[in-house]
Amino acid sequence: MSERKKVVIDLEESEKVELGESSELTKVDASGVLSVNNVSERSRIWNVKVVLGESRESTDIDEDTLAAGEIDVGGKWESNYGIAVGAPILTLKEVFDTCGKVETEEPHWAYLFGEENPVKITLTVTNETDGELDNIILNKTIPPELSNIEIVSTKSGVAEYDEGTKQLVWKDFMIYPRESSELVISATGVVEDTEIKKAGSVVVTYRAEGQQRSVLNPELSALTEFLTGIETAETEPNTWTCTLECSNESDLIVRLDKAEVFLTPEDGGEKQKMIEEAPGVELEPDQDWNSSFEVESKSTPKCTQELVYTPTSELKKRVIGSIEKGSQEVPVYRIEYSKEFDPPSVSSFDKTPVEVTIEVKNTGSARLNEFTIEDNLPDDVMPPTNEHITVWIRDEEYTGPYEFVIDPEDQDPEKTHTLTFRVEDLKDSVGEIEPGESLKINYAVMAWRSRPEKEYPSPVTCTANTNPAGLPAVVSSPEDGHKIGVIYKKRAISTKKAINKGAGVGEYVVVLVVANNGEVTAENIQVTDWIPAGFEYVSTDPEDEAPEISTAGDGSHMVWSWTRMNPGDKKKIRVTVQGDGEYERREPEVSSI
Amino acid sequence: MTVPEVSTGCGLLLKITYFGKTSFALEYNDTTVLLNPGIWEGKKVVPNDFSARIIIATNQSDDAVGNAAKIAVNSKAWFLGNQGAADKASKKGVKPWLLHVLKSEVPYEIPDVKITPYSLARIDETEGGRIENLGLYIEIGEIKVGYLGDSVIRGPFEHLEMDVLIVPVGGDGVFPVKDAVSLCIDAKPRIGVPMRWASMDDPMKFSKYVEQFGQGTIPIVMAPNQTLEVFWAAGNEFRYELN
Repeated sequence: MSERKKVVIDLEESEKVELGESSELTKVDASGVLSVNNVSERSRIWNVKVVLGESRESTDIDEDTLAAGEIDVGGKWESNYGIAVGAPILTLKEVFDTCGKVETEEPHWAYLFGEENPVKITLTVTNETDGELDNIILNKTIPPELSNIEIVSTKSGVAEYDEGTKQLVWKDFMIYPRESSELVISATGVVEDTEIKKAGSVVVTYRAEGQQRSVLNPELSALTEFLTGIETAETEPNTWTCTLECSNESDLIVRLDKAEVFLTPEDGGEKQKMIEEAPGVELEPDQDWNSSFEVESKSTPKCTQELVYTPTSELKKRVIGSIEKGSQEVPVYRIEYSKEFDPPSVSSFDKTPVEVTIEVKNTGSARLNEFTIEDNLPDDVMPPTNEHITVWIRDEEYTGPYEFVIDPEDQDPEKTHTLTFRVEDLKDSVGEIEPGESLKINYAVMAWRSRPEKEYPSPVTCTANTNPAGLPAVVSSPEDGHKIGVIYKKRAISTKKAINKGAGVGEYVVVLVVANNGEVTAENIQVTDWIPAGFEYVSTDPEDEAPEISTAGDGSHMVWSWTRMNPGDKKKIRVTVQGDGEYERREPEVSSI
Repeated sequence: MTVPEVSTGCGLLLKITYFGKTSFALEYNDTTVLLNPGIWEGKKVVPNDFSARIIIATNQSDDAVGNAAKIAVNSKAWFLGNQGAADKASKKGVKPWLLHVLKSEVPYEIPDVKITPYSLARIDETEGGRIENLGLYIEIGEIKVGYLGDSVIRGPFEHLEMDVLIVPVGGDGVFPVKDAVSLCIDAKPRIGVPMRWASMDDPMKFSKYVEQFGQGTIPIVMAPNQTLEVFWAAGNEFRYELN
């Protein structure tokens, strides 16, 4: 059985889509090619017209009817047009999450400098039409900073990664109407500089057979090899049979839409329509069609015909699409810090306020939303109270919300303390910290009788993160870092003693001179002098400096305690004692810290 | 900082006026004690016509004695100081019968006022070395005031109970900020007042550190010509008002 040939009207429409780095639609262009293909092997067609009517409205075609003229055997006539569309029939969404291990509503968008970033790439394609989409091929360029590429899952199709070309190809799948397919990739991202990186582009091509972006509904009108004629035959005297005969001489299927025959009366007058048919019949090649009527006439009837026919056509259509998604920019987050003491060193055994300033600088290329500074104070340092901290952002004092916790929550200088400063959600207060900007905190501590033989490290750990928070950027000092310097100041407590005769018999006046001749304040000074057996303490001048008296085996002890003596401080004490015998001299003992 | 007016005890308040540098006047019940009316770079801090009953210079330097002689002569006030200061005042015209030499730890008393001097020291920046500077423990009415003058050492003041402690903070031969703060921490006065600062950073730091580490001491930085009134409300509640 020979093939039934119909003229082919072909609508091949294409859409070209461009997406931004966040998969947002930035551009969609659609165009089409309308072609008329004469598939005949022996019959040309002519007076070819393509009737579009109102269906052309979504296009830039100006005329309701396109004149294609004559199309030879096997020939083709084409017309290009543009189509107005708002969205593609296939949508692509790429989620490039630099920290796939941490579940967040929005993906992480920056690499952490110098660390292994657990990257998760999710590619989702969605069929937005009521027809199937197939021949989908997705190509993803994998950026050089990613390694350990693994296909985690594919909802359909086959995904393969070629390490040599750094290309990932996902293909051999179709998507049913209004459904999606998804590909998930994992990788390890390592960056060793802070230049903004590229996440790699994505290109998708697809084909939708039987679909169109325009609403064009073209109809063909044409002529081809088609024989027609009227046979008039007298069947009885003065009785005639008139037959309209049509024959499809082409190898195309021809549809006869209208057949009319008019008879001119013998005596003149208006023509009479004798055949009026709209058969809509499709005539196969070499097939005939006829229609007849009888009329009485003395002479041969005079008939004329009006025929409308056209080769039949069939409509073929498809949409070919492509999506190009731009490469997402992936910045890098990194911080550096500085910590300073003012003064950098304190005198030993003294109480000195020390200003502590810690500055954390954004030295990466990503915005930072939160910071934590953990400062560790050694013992012999009194911490501040938690309201005594000053915070600057971009060198301007920051008064927004933050947390400053001192653990333990006291000012005991004999304990070590951990000071934790934390500020979050800067995006909602003064805005995130941009690259090059910094956050600075300052508070005062009191170095409390620092000992010269001891070391006072005050290590610090600074942390920052983006929004949403992923792996934290951490920078720490060594555990023995940031030592508070201690300047050794010599201690020198001198005691001098004189034993003088008093006014009365057996009365002696013991003069003690205690002086701090050193370079540093002495604290908890204790001076002990001895009163021989047989003698008793009477009084002290000045009275405020009366000692504590305690009994010893061979006499008694006088003990003076002073909390503090500054360099140059001197105390002169006159103690009156009374008794019998020789007043033996022993040197006073002194101790201090 | 202010406190509400009280109806009891207000007549017994001590009014402390700051003139700048180390010059203060303590006024209580018609008695005015003027402290260190010094001359700094040729400029007097307290006007010559200031009326006081007692004028005290804690050492013989010009920045302590200043125009004390003129004020004393004009207002017929007593001049008190250590031997060096008294000699200098005498040379400047203070009548001998109005001079009183203070001895360390020997109180000087008049009605409502008891002044106990303690021998401290300051650095003599012109001659070098140390010279005596008296620290004053002033019991005036019901208020106890410690005034260290130009001291570089603290002496017994860390053991004295004080409502108000006035300390130098400039570090120019006297306490630097850290020592002034340290004394406040140890002595725990109710109010700490800095004086004799080299730059405005000094009193600000003093205030900041005392507030943080003073464990109850309230730092008050006074501007020249500002007055601080302190009193015991109802006899047992310490109050103050800075004008």
